[in-house]
Amino acid sequence: MDYKFPEQLFPSFYNLGPPDSVSGFYAGSWGSYDRVRPQGGSGRLSSWTLTAKHQPRGESWRHTEPAPVPLLSPRKDLENQRTALTSASVGFVHIQMENFFLDHCYDAFGCMSDLLGEKFDFSGNKKTHRRSDSVQMGHVKRFLHRMNFKICQQSYESVKMKRYSLLMPDVVHVVPPQLLGSLLHEELTDRRDGLLFPEGTTGGALAFVPFSPQSDARRGCLVYPGHQGLDRLHFHKVALQHRRGSSSSVDADGSPFSFQLKGSIRQISCSSLSPECCVGVRSDYFCGVWKFSERNEPRLLQVVETSEVATCINVSPHILGEVLVASESGAVKLWTVGKGMQAVRTEDANLYFNAKSPWRWCEFSAHPRVMLYADRTGVELTDVRTNPASSHTLFRISSAAECRSGERLVLSRYLGDAHSFHHLVTTQYSAYIMDERFPGVPMLKWDHMMESPPMSCHVVPGSSPSGSGEERTTKVLLGSHFSQEITMLQYSGGRAEACSSRGPPQALLRPRESLKHLPVQIPHRLDTATNRLSSPAAGLTCIQKKSGGDECLCVLQLTAAGDIFYQILEPEQPDAETSRPPAAEDEPQHQQAASAEQLPPELVVADTSSDEDVIGPTQCVQRVVPETPERSPMLSMDSEDSELESKSRYLKRLALQVVVNNEPELDRGSDLEASVKESGNVAEDVAEDAEEPNRVEGTVNGSSRAVPPRRRSPVKLSSSSLVTWKHWLQKLMHVSCDRKSHSQHFQVQTEGLLQLSNRQASEKEHVQSLREDLKSCMSRRSLLVDGVASAPLRAPDVVPLPNQVDEEAWTDRLSRRLTVSWQGEEAWRSWWKEELGMNREEKMQALRRKRRKEKEAKRAAGGRLKLTGSFTSSVSYQSALDDLSDLSGWSSATSQMGWSDREGRRMSSQVDDFWENATPSTAQNAALTPTPTVTPTATPTTTPQKAKDGRGDQQTPSRPPTFSSSQKQTSYPTPTGPRRNKRSADEYLNSLFASQV
Amino acid sequence: MDDLDRELGPHGAAEDCHDSSDDNSSKGGKKLKCPVVNPIFCLGERYSVCVCVCSYYMKTFLTIIWRITTEILHHHPNSTMDDYNNVYERMKHSGVRHHLMICLEHAFHLLLHGRTEDAKLQLSAAESWRHGKESAAQHQRTKLIQAYRSLLDYAIWCDKKLTSSNNHFDSDDNQGMQNNFRQASVNLKETLKNPGVWDPFILSYVDMLEFYEDHEEALKILNEYAYDNSFPPNPNAHVYLYQYLKRHNASEKKLIRVLKILHALVPSHELMLDYSAFLLDSENKKDIEKAFGVILEMLDFTCWRTNMDIWKCLKAIIQKLQIQEDWENVVCEKMAARKDWWPALHFTSFQASKDLEENPELWEVKASLAKVLCPNQTLKYTAERITNGKWT
Repeated sequence: MDYKFPEQLFPSFYNLGPPDSVSGFYAGSWGSYDRVRPQGGSGRLSSWTLTAKHQPRGESWRHTEPAPVPLLSPRKDLENQRTALTSASVGFVHIQMENFFLDHCYDAFGCMSDLLGEKFDFSGNKKTHRRSDSVQMGHVKRFLHRMNFKICQQSYESVKMKRYSLLMPDVVHVVPPQLLGSLLHEELTDRRDGLLFPEGTTGGALAFVPFSPQSDARRGCLVYPGHQGLDRLHFHKVALQHRRGSSSSVDADGSPFSFQLKGSIRQISCSSLSPECCVGVRSDYFCGVWKFSERNEPRLLQVVETSEVATCINVSPHILGEVLVASESGAVKLWTVGKGMQAVRTEDANLYFNAKSPWRWCEFSAHPRVMLYADRTGVELTDVRTNPASSHTLFRISSAAECRSGERLVLSRYLGDAHSFHHLVTTQYSAYIMDERFPGVPMLKWDHMMESPPMSCHVVPGSSPSGSGEERTTKVLLGSHFSQEITMLQYSGGRAEACSSRGPPQALLRPRESLKHLPVQIPHRLDTATNRLSSPAAGLTCIQKKSGGDECLCVLQLTAAGDIFYQILEPEQPDAETSRPPAAEDEPQHQQAASAEQLPPELVVADTSSDEDVIGPTQCVQRVVPETPERSPMLSMDSEDSELESKSRYLKRLALQVVVNNEPELDRGSDLEASVKESGNVAEDVAEDAEEPNRVEGTVNGSSRAVPPRRRSPVKLSSSSLVTWKHWLQKLMHVSCDRKSHSQHFQVQTEGLLQLSNRQASEKEHVQSLREDLKSCMSRRSLLVDGVASAPLRAPDVVPLPNQVDEEAWTDRLSRRLTVSWQGEEAWRSWWKEELGMNREEKMQALRRKRRKEKEAKRAAGGRLKLTGSFTSSVSYQSALDDLSDLSGWSSATSQMGWSDREGRRMSSQVDDFWENATPSTAQNAALTPTPTVTPTATPTTTPQKAKDGRGDQQTPSRPPTFSSSQKQTSYPTPTGPRRNKRSADEYLNSLFASQV
Repeated sequence: MDDLDRELGPHGAAEDCHDSSDDNSSKGGKKLKCPVVNPIFCLGERYSVCVCVCSYYMKTFLTIIWRITTEILHHHPNSTMDDYNNVYERMKHSGVRHHLMICLEHAFHLLLHGRTEDAKLQLSAAESWRHGKESAAQHQRTKLIQAYRSLLDYAIWCDKKLTSSNNHFDSDDNQGMQNNFRQASVNLKETLKNPGVWDPFILSYVDMLEFYEDHEEALKILNEYAYDNSFPPNPNAHVYLYQYLKRHNASEKKLIRVLKILHALVPSHELMLDYSAFLLDSENKKDIEKAFGVILEMLDFTCWRTNMDIWKCLKAIIQKLQIQEDWENVVCEKMAARKDWWPALHFTSFQASKDLEENPELWEVKASLAKVLCPNQTLKYTAERITNGKWT
């Protein structure tokens, strides 16, 4: 039916000329219909149906997993040059020049070294070859030897070398450093541009050839580059295991059939003319063709070497053994394998305007002798039969295709599988479907909205409604290089109906974003994994399965590190969404659990032990840590756990529904929180190891129940994928560890420098026994309890405590203060109050009260009032006062009835010093105090008491004073110093406390 | 304040104040209460700057807001027609630049949901909308709006035509039809002068012209559409002309001429079967050779390779050729360019097995032709290989 041309096309203007230079904001083609056209017209108005060019609804395809899954275990790759080369700064150029001087020293210093070499003696042996006219250069040799290691330049600097470099910086170089630097900078800039947009990788280096495409495309051969530097071609038989509702996977069993090539593989082009399949492989200067079939092993047919860099290879979909090769010189050759090459077209310049690009591309078209020739400015169809070849424009960057200024063609692809006359042309902004029967006007245009331009593409042919099953749109998958994006575009039509795009572009998953779906990694592993996963994409292909209701798409993506990731998409079933009871939704979980149950537990155990072998003993210890990355997948692998988990999910959903529906009046936020809590409790009762994010997700789903729920992509990886990921990451660590051990470091012997003599043996033994304990604990799934493990280790570590400090023995002021300060801030504060004499009045009042009571008691006893009695009582009062304030040490000053100004100043300066040096917080005091016996635990218990005491002190002045002011003045002439200082000191203290509190 | 002023300065300066300070945008700007614009009102009395800034924001984000809103509505499960109307109307009146495009999209939305009358109202309103100096893009949009309005006129015209043919002839209906025709034809004629792809419009215009028996005009329009070099090489243009000529019993010569040009453009077109049939009918020796060439060329293309009709047609032509004496030379001449790749394209052992399995009749036809077309080559297009069952 491909021969039918649409009866009516969508109307459009045909504008010739360069694209409009209207710059500014561009919003894509979202939300618009673009054009409509009547269908089945000339009937009644009511029977008119219209079709839009951009139809808002397309098929919705859903991921079965939230992250792509690695297909193969990771292998070593070359050092990731990407990060290094993205910066071509001056400092970076210096490093590169240094490397050049070291690696190609003869090129850098050859001439001068020939001249100077006679006079320099590098043997380093002073005694044997002592010549009078030669300079000893032994230290230079040592210096150069040290350059092999990464060392600190400061500590290993050589004064002699500095002198040399000062003496002859301008004579030793063959190429002057300034010139070399500028050339290198230019080169590095070019390289960086090349890495950001590597033209060579256009087309992609991943292909899948299905065996027997008529029946089912589940089995086939995956052709991909592997090994370090992607220079080994692999043919790997793979099979897609997929059953709707259960976990799907791609099996890549058996070892691949591989060929070692001379250069890294840039593009792989496949065409399956069953039963034989032809594979064209392009590296920079070599192109090769292999042939294989389901039964026959891959066989190399022919290899050609190109004089220029080859930019494109394409295997004919019509005739086996015909290959088109384009190279940078602008020559396109038709290569009939075994017969030779025929030049098809040669262009020195770009087609339509000077885009300054040597990149050329070629494709086959619907006619076996009409080729498509493309560069950055457009596409031409070239008829090979005539000589010189006649050609006409298929597509050009112009306003006819509504291009934007600056738009350049990035990739062109013949969509022979989907429609024999259709070509896909992509630019950095848009994707166009061109029909070669109507050249010049795009049949369809999308804005693909990708970050970086699409470098590879795969088309999944759709099916017309007349065929078996429902109508399926044609899907175009575009893959970019640097950002790893895959975008799926859908369109239908092209035969009896005009082409129309369906739905918005859909972004598929990227490997670099998969880490967030995996258990948390230890930082250094995270770095390695992130680097590896974010290496740019290098190819894209798809396995399609279209048998009945079990339809699925498996999208495979190759990264530059040589890893292949796959993601499986299923069509969303609209009827299942609404009618399906919640229990049915859990069916897959149960199935999964059941399948997990069938797994023999020995398998799992064997698995872990093998992993431990891979990782090495250090990883063993880490396994006990609960956050260890691999632990949680292992848990969920357990059959009981997964069953519990599925149950818990179901219960969670139920709990959510109840909570949300019963309390509609509640505040939304608290409602949500409550439901989270409650669901969490329920979940925890059932299964203790349920994950937190899942729980929250469930709640959100529950609360937005008012809208008909659309089935979303799952938020959690299935257990089998988690296991795959776990193995992959472990292998990756192993591989990257291997690489690290190769790198050289300048080693300094530190053995025995900081070790005690006799403790080594016991320590080792102990660690050994601890490991054994740990292992036994792990096997018993019990905790490593303190008593089992740590007691023997702790014993020798006991440090003898210093003797207890007798507080009474230390009676000087400082010791007393420090002792008090151990009892907390209140005690310390009161001590200072006492010391500064701020509570003197209170004390005096207290004493007066006491004395009055005594007097009253005597009076009540009936004793006569004696003069001597009164006299002695006043003396006793004085002594009592002294007794009371005896502890403070202040009393001595008080009893002397005088305070010299000098003394007061000294005192206050002491206080100042104290404040400067220490703060009254207990922690600080603990650090200051020389008495470690005073345990810090005492502090909290004493503090409230002191606080109470303080309150008691404050209460006392509320009682009415009974002494007259005159008596007070005569009896206690307060020294001027303290009185003057009292108020200020009080404020001072308060302010200090305020700052403390 | 000064910082803000400095920040806003470039926007204000970059935008052409006079161009954008129309009623819509200034009104919308002052009404706007979004957090982005709010600080602007701290600028005091400098409302002209405010207007510039607002219109800048409007211009920049209007399109994207509109596109995202409609896209959301497209996918929202509970979106209603009122929501759409609301969005379209609001967006239409908040900017000048995209007014016509949004009008057109609104009309399309109404059309796709069967509200032809509303769509026609929308289009009529948009048709008379003018603002400032008309740019090229604006001009084209106006033309497109007119054309779509005319298409709806044609739809109504068709409706009336059907009712009047069912009932007896009614002068009122006739008058209405005439009106519709007049309205449609003015715009369509104007639009069709612009180079472009106008398939639906051409068909409707020609249909109306045919009804009023204005054959001259119809033929002129179709010829221009097909042969004007400023138009893109649309295969449908030739198809429409051919179909028109065929409907009106044009001479075979005229038909062949149209098909010949189509053959040069699209050698794989379906109508090439008609072309070869015409050529065969002519009984001219040259024409039979031509027909042979046409069919061979069709068979070059992937899509015709397993088509039974075309192989049968080829067989018929060869049978006719074989009457001639030097038929072998003719075949050799035509096959000379193909002899190195036709066997690999059509006559492989795998294809033999596939054809035998799927369509034994086709296999028979092809097998009989194989020897004729490639006489000196050993072909593997036989039934024997299949009995062995082994593929190499």
